[in-house]
Amino acid sequence: MRPIDWIVLVGTLVSIVGYGLYRGRGSNTVGRYLLADRTMPWYAMALAIMATQASAVTFISTTGQSYIDGMRFVQAYFGLPIAMVIICATVVPAFRRANVYTAYEFLEKRFDSKTRTLASVVFLFQRGLSAGLTIYAPGIVLSIILGWPERVTTVIMGATVVMYTVIGGIKAVTWSDVQQMCVIVLGLVVALVTVVLLLPNSVSFGDAMYLAGAAGRLNAVTTNFDWNDRFNIWSGLIGSTFLFLSYFGCDQSQVQRYLTGKSITASRISLLFNAVAKIPMQFFILFIGAMVFVFYLFTPPPVLFQRAELRRVEGSAAFRPLEAQYNSAVERRKAAALALAEARRAGDAEARNQQIGEYRAAQAGIDDARARTANLVERSGGPKGFSDTNYIFLSFVTHYLPAGVVGLVIAVVFAATMSASSGEINSLATVSVIDIYKRHVRPEASDLHYLWASRAATLFWGIYAVAFAGWGKKPDSLIVAVNVVGSLFYGTLLGCFVLAFVFRRVRGTATFIGMLAGEAVVLATYYFGHVSYLWFNVIGCVVVVVTALAVTAATSAIPATRQPG
Amino acid sequence: MPELREVPDEKPPFLGTWPRVYAAILIYLAVVVVAAWLFTRAYR
Repeated sequence: MRPIDWIVLVGTLVSIVGYGLYRGRGSNTVGRYLLADRTMPWYAMALAIMATQASAVTFISTTGQSYIDGMRFVQAYFGLPIAMVIICATVVPAFRRANVYTAYEFLEKRFDSKTRTLASVVFLFQRGLSAGLTIYAPGIVLSIILGWPERVTTVIMGATVVMYTVIGGIKAVTWSDVQQMCVIVLGLVVALVTVVLLLPNSVSFGDAMYLAGAAGRLNAVTTNFDWNDRFNIWSGLIGSTFLFLSYFGCDQSQVQRYLTGKSITASRISLLFNAVAKIPMQFFILFIGAMVFVFYLFTPPPVLFQRAELRRVEGSAAFRPLEAQYNSAVERRKAAALALAEARRAGDAEARNQQIGEYRAAQAGIDDARARTANLVERSGGPKGFSDTNYIFLSFVTHYLPAGVVGLVIAVVFAATMSASSGEINSLATVSVIDIYKRHVRPEASDLHYLWASRAATLFWGIYAVAFAGWGKKPDSLIVAVNVVGSLFYGTLLGCFVLAFVFRRVRGTATFIGMLAGEAVVLATYYFGHVSYLWFNVIGCVVVVVTALAVTAATSAIPATRQPG
Repeated sequence: MPELREVPDEKPPFLGTWPRVYAAILIYLAVVVVAAWLFTRAYR
């Protein structure tokens, strides 16, 4: 980090916090603190929804994902527009007309207190786990750049987020999200332009696209159906529809965003904006990762991007043959890539077919050497299931981007963390106060009392997020870890809301039993089955609905047979 | 269903009715999926 990078980074963060605090002033009632008195315009809600969903994990991990596996992760967002349409048509007007603070408050109006409480507890547990993951990501950034311990960076990050969230409430969170989203879009565009400019002069943008595609890095759609395959068009269209129905329909961190809207129309437009913009944005981020892959065709990449773990094995005898294999394959791949680009430009089909074989064989050699080195790291005392996916993009940023751009990209990571964390902490506090404290502990206190309870709960969840930051550092990819955690619980919540909206005969006890059954089946599938996480949402939802309907049928049959005469 | 208050449901700012807006979003999704599939085929 050079001085200009520090100026860009610190200037961006200070302006975001200052702007959030400025816009959040006057949040002196519970209605203003938690729902901004329902006065937010659609564009602020739309950008806040997008920013809350785009955590630092999105940039750190998604780019690494496409470097390793190509762009097929984009399919995990194909269900988003379908989910948004369903939510706009059903959930948004129902929540607005029920005049609720939280999604779970609606469940008590529809079912009973125990169903509301169970759904609230499931949300607090799930979102609490995710909050730890969200705030951990910048720890990776500064541990690479400055060598600071991850714990120090998470404490600084957490303190910053908690400060403006505690003081300004949802208005501060939403307006700082707007600014953060602008920084994110600017940073992404600059990052892509820069990586393309860093390619050798002899390699055109068309060549770069061709080389990325030949290595399978532009595989946006895969049509083969496989239960074990995490990302294909079927899990994307079906599984992710359920995931996003749960996320935007039942997760308070998103529901609270559109409950702040001036009108039903404002809430709907903010969600539909996301339905249109999210897939292109995700495609764009994945494309950056694919271009980073092309960049490393011509600039030798390290065997592992997590240099601390690489140092663990560099001196060992077992590493030397792996390093030799890797270096040889990298050289062969570079030569084949240049020849392939030349053959493409010349329109020489025979040379192109020959070079593609050599290019892919060299890539297989690189993948093999990297996999065996990762295995060696594990055997040398490194983390189990070691993977450096989360370090690829940041390693590239810090080593090759020019002064100023590094600061901007790091600011993007921080802005994304702040937007996602503040939204999570704010929603966790809202559910804690409205669905648990006010409902079960102090039902008749003053507005001022609940305002301070909300601030105290915000502070508590901020500390909790920092304390549990980093628990998910072992998974191969943080972006996948976040979605897996969500999918373990979302299906159950979604099933509960499907019962609320679709099956009017079903009552609270049947729903409660259905939720317990659904969660048990999802957890059993996770531990004992071999099913992609996107399907957990479908399984959980279906089990909740079927169980509740069965219980309803059974219990409605009993009184009928016992009724005298 | 829970007790509901009256909240006016205005027309959307474009396309006249909400069902038309929803249909436009789903058509957009179909176009995006087909475009992504063509993109994959073009560069594999």
